[in-house]
Amino acid sequence: MNEWLDRHMGRLFLAPAVTLILIFSIFPLVASLILAFSRLRLRGGGFTMRWVGFRNFEKQLFGSEQFHLLGTFTTVSILGWIVGLAGTGLLIWWMVRYARTRFHWVGFLGRMITFGIAVGLLWLFCATLLSGNPFGTVGTTLFYVFVGCGIQFLIGTALAFACSQKLRGRTTFRVIFFVPMMVTPIGVGYTFRMLADVTKGPFAGVWQWAGLGDFAWATDPWAARIFITVADSWQWIPFVFIMMLAAFESVPRDLVEAGDLDGASPWQSFREITWPHVMPIAATVMLIRAIEAFKIVDLPNIMTSGGPGIATESVSLQAYYAWRSLDLGQASAVAYILLFVTVVICVSFFNLVVLSRVRAQK
Amino acid sequence: MSTRRPGLFEPRAIGQMAPATKILLYTILIVWAAFVLFPIYWLLITSVKTPAAVNQGPFFLPFIDFEPSLHAWKELFVIDYEDTLRAYMNSIIISLSATALSVLVGSMAAYALSRVDYAPNLITILYFVALLAGVGVAVGIYDVDWMLATAVAVALFFLLARAVGRIYEVRLGNGDILFWIISQRILAPIVVVVPIYMMFQSVRLLDTHLAIILTYAVVNLPIVVWLMYDFFNSIPRDLEESAQIDGATMIGTFREIILPLSRAGLAATTLLVMILSWNEYLLALFLSTTKAQTMPILVAAMNAGERGVLWWTMSVTIVVMIIPVVVLAVILQKYITKGLLVGAVKG
Amino acid sequence: MLKKLMTGSALALATALTPTVGSADGHYDGVVINILTRPGPVIAGRIAERGEEFKEMTGAEVRVAEVPFSELFQKILTDWATGTNSIDVGVFASGWGVELVSGDLVANLDPFIEADDKIDLQDIAPYFRDFNQKVQGSTYFITLDGDFQMLYYRTDVLEEAGLEPPKTWEEYLEVAAAIHGKDMNGDGEADFGSCIFKKRNAQSYFAVQSMAASRVQTKGTSEGLYFDPETMKPKINNAAWKKAFEIYKATGEYGPPEELNHDIGDTRALAIGGRCGLMIDWGDIGPLSIEEGSQIRDKVGAVIMPGSTEALDVETGELKACDADLCPHAVDGINYAPFAAFGGWTAAISATVDDQKKQAAYDFLSYMNQAAQSNVDVTLGWTGYNPYRNSQLESTAAWVEAGFSEEAAENYLGAIKESLNHPNMASDFRIPGAQQYTGVVLDRELARYLADEITVEEALENIEEGWEEITEDFGREEQAEIYALSLGITN
Repeated sequence: MNEWLDRHMGRLFLAPAVTLILIFSIFPLVASLILAFSRLRLRGGGFTMRWVGFRNFEKQLFGSEQFHLLGTFTTVSILGWIVGLAGTGLLIWWMVRYARTRFHWVGFLGRMITFGIAVGLLWLFCATLLSGNPFGTVGTTLFYVFVGCGIQFLIGTALAFACSQKLRGRTTFRVIFFVPMMVTPIGVGYTFRMLADVTKGPFAGVWQWAGLGDFAWATDPWAARIFITVADSWQWIPFVFIMMLAAFESVPRDLVEAGDLDGASPWQSFREITWPHVMPIAATVMLIRAIEAFKIVDLPNIMTSGGPGIATESVSLQAYYAWRSLDLGQASAVAYILLFVTVVICVSFFNLVVLSRVRAQK
Repeated sequence: MSTRRPGLFEPRAIGQMAPATKILLYTILIVWAAFVLFPIYWLLITSVKTPAAVNQGPFFLPFIDFEPSLHAWKELFVIDYEDTLRAYMNSIIISLSATALSVLVGSMAAYALSRVDYAPNLITILYFVALLAGVGVAVGIYDVDWMLATAVAVALFFLLARAVGRIYEVRLGNGDILFWIISQRILAPIVVVVPIYMMFQSVRLLDTHLAIILTYAVVNLPIVVWLMYDFFNSIPRDLEESAQIDGATMIGTFREIILPLSRAGLAATTLLVMILSWNEYLLALFLSTTKAQTMPILVAAMNAGERGVLWWTMSVTIVVMIIPVVVLAVILQKYITKGLLVGAVKG
Repeated sequence: MLKKLMTGSALALATALTPTVGSADGHYDGVVINILTRPGPVIAGRIAERGEEFKEMTGAEVRVAEVPFSELFQKILTDWATGTNSIDVGVFASGWGVELVSGDLVANLDPFIEADDKIDLQDIAPYFRDFNQKVQGSTYFITLDGDFQMLYYRTDVLEEAGLEPPKTWEEYLEVAAAIHGKDMNGDGEADFGSCIFKKRNAQSYFAVQSMAASRVQTKGTSEGLYFDPETMKPKINNAAWKKAFEIYKATGEYGPPEELNHDIGDTRALAIGGRCGLMIDWGDIGPLSIEEGSQIRDKVGAVIMPGSTEALDVETGELKACDADLCPHAVDGINYAPFAAFGGWTAAISATVDDQKKQAAYDFLSYMNQAAQSNVDVTLGWTGYNPYRNSQLESTAAWVEAGFSEEAAENYLGAIKESLNHPNMASDFRIPGAQQYTGVVLDRELARYLADEITVEEALENIEEGWEEITEDFGREEQAEIYALSLGITN
């Protein structure tokens, strides 16, 4: 018995987690996939379902919801053409280089998918933002993800590094810096709505004094997006902070001190010793943060309800609104499109950036 | 006195910081602390404002530019204390249990993934998943008895698993398993809410703590696995190897060597998972009706729709939601430091 | 969340209640009625209090569960459709309920009403009795709250400026322009001519329908605002709706700077703080104006929603001046069409509960609806209930007792009476998919137009296209049938 246990211990350690995830994810995933291809109406004794094929996806990608998900397409500006063509060229070059150096069909297939999504998003960017056309929820979500996560990572890491130094009172700072994570996301949304109120919020006076009395952040698309990013950062920088702090703390102190003795400058010792040590955790932190950021829904929902127009609406929020109006088919279709884009971006990031760095280090 | 005094940006001694660097660091930390704390301060004073003081604001200082009033606190903790305390207790029970379950199961899996090489056969996995999906669909959509469906699926699996596995040999690695686990967090919760609701409905567990605990544990499992995987990986293997030579089992090594060494990581992960379950809203909303309602639902309820947001009571609920997490953070903070000390002694 | 904000009203309440409570016979001992609604004190608070009384009378226990407003309907629908049945009675907007009725999820209340001698249907205003409580000719809902929008104005501000309350939307803009920028609450700051909520995914689609109604609907409630009942072709891409969109946007000129992000709660806070000259709202502003902290006590008047001197010519899609043919209900050449936005909070009983519980639940709802109870409830601001019975408007006594001045009460009741019994009252969407038609498509395109993303023509075209898609999804013929029935057209 004991011997058997020992032999299978590896599996037994993994089994509970895998079983739980399987039970909770496979059925919902399959069920929502079926939903994405159908029209569902809840009624007495269950529901009626009608298979509609790709209609939900068609409506989102090419039909009446295209402007909403992707953006409005009219003409592409000259700048858009230049950037689009240049970017496409670069991506083709990258593919060709890969195919010529080390070709493996799994790697090639994976890179083809990455390539497809990258070209698609590139042209989306060129045809909307660079051409002065409004973009849809995909663009907004990418803004939250790339700009938001970028800022959060930079500030969070910097603060964690500062707090990992020998400073008096750093424990207090650590606890303080962690506080925003403790506020429920809905609460963060409402709190920032209170703070941003230009008539009765705390900054109303400053606002008037700066002569901005008639400008309301909520009515300008970019101001609204940026403000939501600020609130999101307020909440999530602590996450990056605490993880990176744990990472910095796990750097063996003797190594750093040895570097100091050798006369390495702080920057050198950071780059040569500390950073390589924390890099894997940093990548994980970024990945987790990005995955959560793709699903952003509470803040835009509470702070602006997706307005002005559709300027602050994320893909996830679009799915939420569809779901709330009982359009479960559209909600699932939108969520699956988001799932696809997120998986491709995250897998690419993981395989092409993280793993190659890790390999390079080994 | 012959030596030159060090410059502002030069350290006085090895391992110490230059004074200007120190001042710069403190300035950054203090400015950031202000940015972090101001919204909290605003919540605190809003919780003691009367509706009139909120609507005619802005007012900043209690007693000086407005008269504080405890009416909102009274409403929640005197008049309606039953609802509030029930939600509060629910939140505590649910998030503690879910966190414990999730961290336990997750760190076991993470440890296994960081130490054992797995090579599951892709075809067997696909076969297993297909069976599982079959059970789900049969129970959820066609109302087949779940015991029967599971029994059939288990029988089918053990009868045919080996045969199916031999069809085509493609093996996955640990990295694939790891990515599969984290990918569970990618799908937006909105679309899985209805299927999960139906799942619990079919086993009559709606509006119970258990349903929410299980859901939260699973939802947070990927995060635990990922974070703990990295922490376990950074622990040198020689310790375990010598223990194993002495005849220790995997459980023994895990409990006596690995867990104590990864305290800092465990503390950070526990805190994070605890917070995520403490703050979750959408799943809790759907899996509960009254008995198991949690605090975030109470917060959302303070938006009285066409009556506007009841800023004062909402602030109270947000503030009281922060308190237990602060306590937990302070407790775990100690462990994070202790874990470091152990590392230093060992180092 | 209950029992709040009762100061002052508690006493009046206690005296009003005691006589109506019958002797406790306990014939429903052991019955538990689970009611789900939005969080209180609004709506839910009063249900819980009346539930206590009901328990004393009959022995049946009323338990009120609350979920956030935005998720309320989803929750009820899922609970009933999947057979969870943890909820016996749902309290929500009657417009949403049509979807439930078409899914056979709601109990038909006709037999109960027939046997009920206390409910006095004739006292309920015709719109609520004949349209709001009914689907396809049968009663499924019990009204707890009567909802329609009215125009409110600051009597003192208009008087000072020598202006009359506006009768048309053009006048509305003129008045708003004239008073915009005046200090209306004596704090030295410039205040706003008009406050109308414009936030997306909030209530803005109700406001624009209120503005469109008087141009679209002239021939009585059964004409309808949205479709040609024969073909289900949307009546939206035309000059009348275009004008309504433009007026709605134009009111923003005289509103607070962040009005695009204001929902009705923000607007009401401003109004009660005395910062708005004109506003449109449901019946709530009246009772709210006399609450503690209000700056507009006895300074606010109400009139029926402004009308229009021109109306849609269905043949051409253009606007035409009102004449006796086009606008049979016009007064002084102005066509009014008060819009029953939201329809009011109504209660429905799940079809699957057992007979005894159904009877108990019905008895409770009837108890709440009866004049003896509801006539008190509607005078209290915090309950969120607005008048829907004629007897609630007959005497100002209850209102004066609640804190109105005689004059303000008369003015407020006068406006309600005029709207409530108007033959041309416009009905809100009452077909399956209602939330998708207005809450999603109309609301979103309106928001994009307000944010200058698209022109009004594009917005209307998109709405037409979006509505056609929804109609196709639900089945054109079924939708046409339900739409016709919802307007009381039987052929």
